[in-house]
Amino acid sequence: MTYEQAHPPHYIAHRKGWLSLHTGNLHGEAGAAERAVEDSFLRRFMYGTFPGLLADEVVLKRRGNLLVICALLSRALPPSKIYFLVGYTETLLSHFYKCPVRLELQTVPARVVYKYL
Amino acid sequence: NLMGARLAGSHVDTQEPKTNPLVSLSDEPETLYKRLSILVKGHDKAVLDSYEYFAVLAAKELGISIEKVEKPPKTIERFTLLKSVHIYKKHRVQYEMRTHYMCLELKYLTSSTAAVYLEYVQRNLPEGVAMEVKKTKIERIPEHIKKPVWDTLPQVEEAEVKS
Repeated sequence: MTYEQAHPPHYIAHRKGWLSLHTGNLHGEAGAAERAVEDSFLRRFMYGTFPGLLADEVVLKRRGNLLVICALLSRALPPSKIYFLVGYTETLLSHFYKCPVRLELQTVPARVVYKYL
Repeated sequence: NLMGARLAGSHVDTQEPKTNPLVSLSDEPETLYKRLSILVKGHDKAVLDSYEYFAVLAAKELGISIEKVEKPPKTIERFTLLKSVHIYKKHRVQYEMRTHYMCLELKYLTSSTAAVYLEYVQRNLPEGVAMEVKKTKIERIPEHIKKPVWDTLPQVEEAEVKS
């Protein structure tokens, strides 16, 4: 099991962090529902564009207008194909959401295991 | 005499003064701010603590005097929902959202200093953190308020007393 799967939800903010960081859920801020819909679309999109390559959950960060997608990939595809997929996701998503989208990737040899059951 | 011989062949006078295209100079007087109040909200207290260290350090480096740094108490928004899709009213789930605050107050700034500081601090705002800025302006007292009204109208009072 990965670190994310090993900790149940009541450990969020104690032993676990957040997967999606935005200001929609703060007291007195609006836009939480729109961010949630965007997050679910982005996660399905990433799951589909990198078939079988995602080692862990996708982390989404929003700084002002910029949307940063951080993902962990395994090294199954050659780097040239991964570069093409990165450019494809960045241009498509920035045209779709009308905001600059940046993809930050890290390749991992295998899934990062936290605990064995 | 040696200095004169060295400067004779150099091009010291012919060089034009270099003007930085990013710096703009204007002659109008700058608006002064008595207090600049920055309220930062976030879900994670550690993130807000590190941001406070960063903002205070930036203010000190720019020479801005800090009035106070206060940490208002957190607000917790809780709601209780049913755990199951259909029946089982007695079994519920509770969720909460915690918002931590940090208020930074800076005193006696000019508009250009405030613009520079705010731009730097806002470009480095971490994700998941929101900021609100309130500026208190100092203005000159308008001319028509400076003297009380009853001192400027003696003639009308005398006419009333006579009649």
